[in-house]
Amino acid sequence: MARLIGIRIAQGLLTLLGLIVLTFLVQFVIPGDPVRMLAPRTPSAEVAQRIRAQLGLDRLWWEQLGRYLIRVAQGDLGESYVRRQPVARLIAGRLPATAALALAGVVAEILIGFPIGVALALSSRLRRWLSGLNLILLSLPTFVIGLALLLALGFGARLFPTTGGAGLRELILPALTLGLAGTPWYAGVVRDRLEESLGSAYVRMAVAKGLPNRWILFRHCFPHVFPALVTMAGMDLSAYLSGVVVVETIFGWPGIGLLAVQGMQTLDRPLVMGTVLVGGAAVVLLNGIVDMLRMVLDPRTREGLG
Amino acid sequence: MRTIVRVQDLTVAYRHLRVLKDISLEVKAGEILALVGETGSGKTTLAMAIARLLPPGATVRGRIEVNGHDLYAMPAAAVRPLRGRLIGLVPQEAMAALNPVLPVGAQVAEVFQTHLGFSASEAWARAVEALARVQIPHPERVARLYPHQLSGGMRQRAILAMALALHPPLLIADEPTTALDRLTQGEILALVRQLQAESGMAVLWITHDMGVVAALAHRVAVLYAGRLVELGPCSKILSAPAHPYTEALVRTYRDLIAGGRGEPFYAIPGHPPSPGQRPSGCPFHPRCPYRQDRCRERFPEPLRWGERMVACYFPRGDLG
Repeated sequence: MARLIGIRIAQGLLTLLGLIVLTFLVQFVIPGDPVRMLAPRTPSAEVAQRIRAQLGLDRLWWEQLGRYLIRVAQGDLGESYVRRQPVARLIAGRLPATAALALAGVVAEILIGFPIGVALALSSRLRRWLSGLNLILLSLPTFVIGLALLLALGFGARLFPTTGGAGLRELILPALTLGLAGTPWYAGVVRDRLEESLGSAYVRMAVAKGLPNRWILFRHCFPHVFPALVTMAGMDLSAYLSGVVVVETIFGWPGIGLLAVQGMQTLDRPLVMGTVLVGGAAVVLLNGIVDMLRMVLDPRTREGLG
Repeated sequence: MRTIVRVQDLTVAYRHLRVLKDISLEVKAGEILALVGETGSGKTTLAMAIARLLPPGATVRGRIEVNGHDLYAMPAAAVRPLRGRLIGLVPQEAMAALNPVLPVGAQVAEVFQTHLGFSASEAWARAVEALARVQIPHPERVARLYPHQLSGGMRQRAILAMALALHPPLLIADEPTTALDRLTQGEILALVRQLQAESGMAVLWITHDMGVVAALAHRVAVLYAGRLVELGPCSKILSAPAHPYTEALVRTYRDLIAGGRGEPFYAIPGHPPSPGQRPSGCPFHPRCPYRQDRCRERFPEPLRWGERMVACYFPRGDLG
């Protein structure tokens, strides 16, 4: 077990290293000069040269990469060109808001998607209505769902604030938007796994034992659904942790997504690197956690761990 | 002996597809009735009908009584608690019948929890006893294992423990040993015989394997294309089959036992008919070496003598 965790950590670090190198290189390929974004007017060649030297941009690309890697290894994400603040502090300031939204979004997806999936698998009467609803949600882009919610529940019914912010009341609409956008996927997976389970030999055996239907559903079928649900929730959570730009923009939610976009618009390389790195770390970490959880949920995958 | 199962004039159809026609048979306490037939003969349908577990869309005519309960005269919800308590059922593909994510013991214990309202710990203790009863070694350890950690024979025993947990007066088993090797199969059959003798329960054992029939059954019912064609004591049926189809079955089995002495194995010519296209009259007539014109026209009235029954115009051997 310890060996397995060690391997996973090494794999994760390697992934992050690859991510850093790739993102770093991409920034040299995209057109635009950070110096020109920093200077208010077109700077003289001399001024530009001085800024470049200050930021270390006059060095060769592999030299820059090497220095960046060394600093990251020491826990220093550098300083934002534009904001003149440590990137780590900028991200840390946004992280709680992002984490809250990501978590609330995934919880909303499960709370809405799971019951719909169960209903789809169990009731042929509900199936027609619910699969229609599913299709509508599936075809709506996130920004449409978000704007519709904002219009109806924010401006229309005035149930929720529309001015942005990071409070609990402000959290509900963006979380609901993520939840509704993700619902069809969750409902689909829950329905498929549940139908698979309902048609299985062990459910026939459970029926033959005379167990009540509710018992069979909860004890025999749901455990078959959970591993897939955990996998999806983990993937979504890590994706949302690197920022949900559209939702954050619509609701003025001060998360990492907005920070990353601003970083890219201003060619603020340390900021872009930092947000990408944090998002990547979230993906790696959550994947590890999901794998552990799956082992707990499905005894067959525990085999060979000793 | 008391009659545990009484099936009277049972006909089962899926829309226009008739799977079983006019089946009548009884299983008494203390006896093992083997139900023999080829794939598609309706064996499983008969077993499921007795447990009232046919898929929706099946129409059932006739009467089935289990331990005095007229199963099709009562509401479906009232039948549910009878399964497990009155009818122990081991369904087909028994090897996949264990839930992979639950410990074996929990899958036995839940029978006590749901039927008798036992607490989890009480039920667990009873589950360990039930596993010991089917001669699983170290039952308290095995109870904590997951199905994939058990051998095929152990899984089969665990399933038997679940079906028999509440000591039902009737056990229905649908080809449960088919996937096991011969040695393990023999052990399971010996166990079933022993448990049956101890408890005096009635057993309905479905198989296509005459070897299993010879090893296990007291009486044999032969099903062909949804019809009951022969019924009688096991020794009589094996030594002097009356129906040409039974005769052919016994002959194939004998040839297999005798094994390659240079002669080709006997095989019944032709193929069993599918439920959609069953021949008129006696459904066996296209494959029967003794057929005459009348066989094509009407299904023969069953002949009964002693403990035996055969549905054939030209039964084999001496019926005295």
